[in-house]
Amino acid sequence: MIDAVPAVLLVLVVACALATAVLRDVLAAIIAFAAYSLGIAMIWVLLQAPDVGLTEAAVGAGVTTILFLLTIAKTVRPPGEAIFESLDPKGLVVAVLIVGVLASTLGALPPVGSAETPVAQSQVTDYYLENTYEQTHVKNAVTAVLAAYRGFDTMGEAVVVFAAGVGLLVVLGREVFA
Amino acid sequence: MIDALAAGPVDLLATRSYYAGTALLLGIGAYVMIASPNLVKKVIGMNIFQTGIFLFFIASAYVEGAKSPIVGPKATGPFVSPLPHVLILTAIVVGVSLTAVALGLIVRVYNEYGTLEADVLQEVRSDD
Repeated sequence: MIDAVPAVLLVLVVACALATAVLRDVLAAIIAFAAYSLGIAMIWVLLQAPDVGLTEAAVGAGVTTILFLLTIAKTVRPPGEAIFESLDPKGLVVAVLIVGVLASTLGALPPVGSAETPVAQSQVTDYYLENTYEQTHVKNAVTAVLAAYRGFDTMGEAVVVFAAGVGLLVVLGREVFA
Repeated sequence: MIDALAAGPVDLLATRSYYAGTALLLGIGAYVMIASPNLVKKVIGMNIFQTGIFLFFIASAYVEGAKSPIVGPKATGPFVSPLPHVLILTAIVVGVSLTAVALGLIVRVYNEYGTLEADVLQEVRSDD
């Protein structure tokens, strides 16, 4: 049967996402989203992905929340007294369709945590786990794959971050530093 | 798959709760993107949609009883697969870049038109 801790965290995460969806005030939605990121970071740790958990806590709960707060500091919050958004039938239909279609595929997926999943059985996984230490002398396989085996991928990521930085400066009209 | 269907929906949900969570998060994210008139909330919806997909990847890498992939001469397995973790680390950083540019555009839209509500924005733009 399902363990208590992952179940509680999953419920917390989905509840925070729902709160984000229904709260009308953007500041309240941002706070709910920060709590959501924190819950997701804890789920990463439970799923034995501490590197992803650290990044999510620093970047998802930290940087993203600050970016959202800076945005509403420079703009407006929605006027009016209503606490909750009114329900949108069109969006609800699409959301129910997405959940329904995805839920219908659940039976075709292997159980979470099974050692027979395609990911766990993959030759790529075995290769990284067996050869990482001899070939790179890095103990953390995630770091080794990120910086060595898939280094070009990470360089592409750095290019995306650079492009985003330049794009942001152009959009905000700050490209000239006097 | 036949076994899973024979076991019934409760067992299906219990063994695949993370995948069910993925489906719910994708639905909620899509709903916020479509239903909310506020542009900032649309970006929050996009972020929820993204993390739903991250949940799918990290859950697919997980093996019951396995350790995080810290290898080395003395470490003994089993370990979880490091590859999905790497892909998601990249995706998180790219997602933040995307959010930053989207929010920059939103600030610019607000400076030009004085509103962040999509419906009001459409009216203002059709008047031009």
